[in-house]
Amino acid sequence: MLQLNNICTSFNKGTIDEMELFKQFNFEVKKGEFISIVGSNGSGKTTLLNLICGTMSPDSGSIIFKGDDITKMSEHRRAKFIGRVFQDPKLGTCSNLTVLENFALADNKNKTFGLTGAVSKKRIDYYREKLSHCNMGLEDRLNTPVGSLSGGQRQAIALVISGMTEVDMLILDEHTAALDPKSSETIMEITDKLVKENDMTAVMVTHNLRFATQYGNRLVMMHNGEAIMDKKAEEKEQTKVEDILHLFNEISIECGN
Amino acid sequence: MSFLGSLEVFIETGLIFSIIAMGYYVSYHILDFPDLTVEGTFLTGAVVFGLLSSHNVNSWIALLVSFVLGCAFGAVTGVLNVRLKIRPLLCGILVSTSLITINLIATSAGMTGDFTGQSSSSISYGRTVKTLHDVFFGELIPSRVKGVSVRDLIIFLVVAIVCKLLLDFYFKTKNGLLLRAAGNNGQFVKMLGVDPGKSKITGLAIGNGYAAIAGALYSHVSGNVNQSMGIGMIVIGLASLIIGLSLLKNVKFMKPTTKVIIGAIIYQACLTVAQKLGVPSAYNKLIMAVIFTIALVVSSKAKNKGGSSNVAVK
Ligand SMILES: Nc1ncnc2c1ncn2[C@@H]1O[C@H](COP(=O)(O)OP(=O)(O)OP(=O)(O)O)[C@@H](O)[C@H]1O
Ligand SMILES: [Mg+2]
Repeated sequence: MLQLNNICTSFNKGTIDEMELFKQFNFEVKKGEFISIVGSNGSGKTTLLNLICGTMSPDSGSIIFKGDDITKMSEHRRAKFIGRVFQDPKLGTCSNLTVLENFALADNKNKTFGLTGAVSKKRIDYYREKLSHCNMGLEDRLNTPVGSLSGGQRQAIALVISGMTEVDMLILDEHTAALDPKSSETIMEITDKLVKENDMTAVMVTHNLRFATQYGNRLVMMHNGEAIMDKKAEEKEQTKVEDILHLFNEISIECGN
Repeated sequence: MSFLGSLEVFIETGLIFSIIAMGYYVSYHILDFPDLTVEGTFLTGAVVFGLLSSHNVNSWIALLVSFVLGCAFGAVTGVLNVRLKIRPLLCGILVSTSLITINLIATSAGMTGDFTGQSSSSISYGRTVKTLHDVFFGELIPSRVKGVSVRDLIIFLVVAIVCKLLLDFYFKTKNGLLLRAAGNNGQFVKMLGVDPGKSKITGLAIGNGYAAIAGALYSHVSGNVNQSMGIGMIVIGLASLIIGLSLLKNVKFMKPTTKVIIGAIIYQACLTVAQKLGVPSAYNKLIMAVIFTIALVVSSKAKNKGGSSNVAVK
């Protein structure tokens, strides 16, 4: 479904801080995969997601989505078929707007934003129903400005919203990192349900090794701009938290820590 | 000037400037874009209105044309920022500087056909020129009651309210809600598959279209157009906006656009009071800035006391 071919990415080109992160990096995502990506800080996980979503473009190499070259396509165009939830709960929702208004906007995704009424009363029950799956009581707070909800509640809304219109691929960047253990558990369950029910393809970055092993059907570990571990299907099933921890330790020893 | 007379003046000017302030509500308050184009487009509105009216075009149509041209120049500011990535302040400076020439040449060419801009820099409406009072519903209103020119007052009230209602309506539409989202969280708009830059351009167009309407009305009151008319409009617009929003912050039932209109009238009332206290009119602009500063400080104090979202001081 998605191929990254010979990607090269460097930062601060032409300065003394120049740093080459990806060197001839190749990565493929197949339809139906739910990939968990782990890796140390600065290993290039977010950069990889930014490349997929079009937040930044590679110095060279190509990105192919369903056979089309999208290397030069802008971020908002790609958003039509790639959904994304960020680590920062503030990014996935509009704090000044109410829950209902956030839903109304998301509901109109990929349609024209013209001069007709924004909020349709007929859809309210549908939004309520979607929110009730979160078990956070959000279905009764449709008229609350999102800014006054907690991070976990906002993230739940961001997640529901991103899955509301059909996208081919869902990108999750440490989307549970800002939440307490209980909320992150809930959000992870909602994520899993969302992906399974809609047959979505998903790429999730996480620092929670248990989530990484428990959810999804493929596990990748990044290090210095490379995928140093890539386990699929049964191989992934058998991977335990300890195995990943072990690999983490090996890397740090290599790096001399 | 009598009490009634000065009451008339500040309500009238307040209503006119409330339209600039409503424009700033979109560009500055919602989109967080400090737009300096307004001094130029205010004058553009006046020039276009003056020229068309003195060439016997129905002045309500002239008002509409002023609005459209104001929108167009606002959109230029937006395009400079969004497409060419020029900083907001610089975009405003570039467009308003260009407008100094454009307004002057338009005036000169429109009055005498001289495109060098040397023959005429002002427009004055002769006695025979029909303007807003004389056409459409204007005629139906008695022109003066007890020495107060009710007709103008009602005309400005109607225009201000129409501008307000149009904005209120706009923010209920999909496009309007998207604009609010774009001001709040551009990334969110991108995830909807839309370029938030489009909303920014729309917002700046609205802001400057409104400034042009205000300019047209202002020239209608003063009976002429001169090239320095736009000076000070940024402060007036922003001050009215901030006074309205911060003073009436806790009034829940009132729409922000209503608050802005009230803010504009309060601001003009303050200026009138200063004049009544005997401050010479040469001090006007200074007083405007001082009152604005006081409003800013008061609104930031209100914030420190635990108020939630603040309107001006970040
Ligand atoms: N905009 C940027 N400018 C300069 N360097 C950058 C930029 N973005 C990323 N980098 C560098 O690229 C490397 C990879 O960063 P990236 O954000 O992809 O890491 P990550 O794997 O997401 O880490 P974390 O787990 O901390 O989120 C880091 O060394 C970082 O310093
Ligand atoms: Mg990261």
